[in-house]
Amino acid sequence: MAYPYRHESETRILSEGFGDPAARTVAGWKAMGGYAGIARALEIGREATIDEVKASGLRGRGGAGFPTGLKWSFMPKDARRPHYLLCNADESEPGTFKDREIIRWTPHQLIEGCLVGSYAIGAAHCYIYLRGEFFESTQVLARALEEAYDKGLVGRDIMGSGVDIDMTLHVGAGAYICGEETGLMSSLEGRRGEPRVKPPFPAAVGAFGMPSTINNVETLAATPHILRHGGEWYRQWGTDKSPGTKLFCVSGHVRKPGNYEFPLGFPMMELIEDVCGGIPNGRALKAVIPGGSSVPIMSADDCRECSLCYEGVEAAGSMLGCASVIVMDDTTDIVKQVRRMAYFYAHESCGQCTPCREGTAWATRILRRIEDGRGTEDDLDTLIEISEQMTGTTICVLSDSLAMPIISSIEKFRDDYLALIRRGERVGAA
Amino acid sequence: MSDARFRNPGWAGNTGEFDLTEADVRGSEFVGEQPLDGGHPGVAPSLPYMLVRKDPEAPLFEGPYLERFEKIRTRYPTARAALIPALNLAQELRGHVSPETMDEVAALLGLSDAFVRGVATFYTMYNKRPVGRFLIQVCTNISCNIRGADEVLAAFLEHTGTELGETSSDGDFTVAEAECLAACGFPTCVQINSRYFEDVSVEDVPEVLARLKREVNDGF
Repeated sequence: MAYPYRHESETRILSEGFGDPAARTVAGWKAMGGYAGIARALEIGREATIDEVKASGLRGRGGAGFPTGLKWSFMPKDARRPHYLLCNADESEPGTFKDREIIRWTPHQLIEGCLVGSYAIGAAHCYIYLRGEFFESTQVLARALEEAYDKGLVGRDIMGSGVDIDMTLHVGAGAYICGEETGLMSSLEGRRGEPRVKPPFPAAVGAFGMPSTINNVETLAATPHILRHGGEWYRQWGTDKSPGTKLFCVSGHVRKPGNYEFPLGFPMMELIEDVCGGIPNGRALKAVIPGGSSVPIMSADDCRECSLCYEGVEAAGSMLGCASVIVMDDTTDIVKQVRRMAYFYAHESCGQCTPCREGTAWATRILRRIEDGRGTEDDLDTLIEISEQMTGTTICVLSDSLAMPIISSIEKFRDDYLALIRRGERVGAA
Repeated sequence: MSDARFRNPGWAGNTGEFDLTEADVRGSEFVGEQPLDGGHPGVAPSLPYMLVRKDPEAPLFEGPYLERFEKIRTRYPTARAALIPALNLAQELRGHVSPETMDEVAALLGLSDAFVRGVATFYTMYNKRPVGRFLIQVCTNISCNIRGADEVLAAFLEHTGTELGETSSDGDFTVAEAECLAACGFPTCVQINSRYFEDVSVEDVPEVLARLKREVNDGF
């Protein structure tokens, strides 16, 4: 059976089981080498497990890119209080659709990753926070978890090691902000998903007031492979600062959108042109958002030499985020798309901090006005000013996430704005 | 759905270029659109389901729902943490979460009415008022938008004869706009009740609606 997104040049570590329903059973996952990672972790002990992940250089795949092993090492070593591992499966960054694929094709990969993470930080209970829309994925994961419980892989005395690790699927109810780690903790506790001020950091005071670690699905899914083959093995891919492979979610104007797994540092243009079949209908590339909607927009020129690793995208003036590459051709109305993003952030702002609550809504109104041909050139200055006031002034980075596309789009596509303001001309409206 | 072009809406992985069957994608174990009964001692998920059959007067909670509720409570160290799962169950039964439902859930968990209303109104998946048999949520966020999601949304409104957020006169359809559904590679993504319909184009809309109508008539 052909799987929609497959390209012969891929390095398939995480995505090896995509497209094969057999990987959804314990036997199928074991046949692919599964549950050997947690077995090795249990054998070498907690400290060595963390050291192995540290050695691999694995960085958090949820967007921030924080080194995973280091994050785990922040957890207190004593076991006087319960520790929790929270798996962030609240995938809702526009442009991102990798975690859903991991969960629904290889649920045991995630379960094993959660076991490795829980064991490493001394957590006896792991909560997997899924977004409420993930009906199918939750079905698949629940069935896999039932089987894992029945086979003694999860629960009391896992694999006869004397270690207890429970796992609970917790399904949210629709809020982008619950993907922010402290917002996720609030939501798990049964509150509004409002982010909290850090410090205290989750490793000190996390879910239910106890030491907690929050990891993304893709991060946790990578850890069993690292344990099985060793940290050095993982470093054979990627760059020094961005080791390993990564799922790139390509969407927008390409012939074959999808999730493709490549070593970090893969050239962006090769991904768009060769792997995804290029831009359809003979159109030209106009812009790319490389890491989900919360990062600066790149112009076509920025993309030419850009390699897709944390430092490579940064050098090109943007951020890798969760590697959600949104490709836009020259028919794209940038003003409309930025307005759509602004509307999204205004809708999803939790409302705690004034710069975000007011700023996102205000920016949306101004962008709407420009889009309707009623804008002025002063509006662009106002947008920049609002954006600057939304940066670094709030509890979480939701408003910063809107400021970046606004500022970068005005810098790079000022002509699109001016055409609307001066002549009422809309790009791509033909 | 049998025709070649619009092969398998409702389960993912179809880009129109590859021939996947439902069994390929879901695996033979897939149970379809049924509530997760939480039959296993270790697994008790509850989702903010939207089912075709809704019973706004259903009691909170009785029979298998009470069993699920009691099991959910054992999975958390605090009573409050069971709030969102409990609201999910309530919506699954009743189809929406009214202020009265919020108060009932508050009483069940020993929380204040005000606190529960604050939480329930924070989350967008809780329908604050009744919706049609099918709640059609069209993603219009950036990845779908640049591929024509606004037109798909307009087509759903046109063919159901409704306004955004309103329910059609026969009670079948409510059309709403959704934020990113995490299926950006398959634009436009439309969530209908709990199912994803992917790669939906303007031309597919009448066919999707006809299929839903058939499901209602078949007593689904």
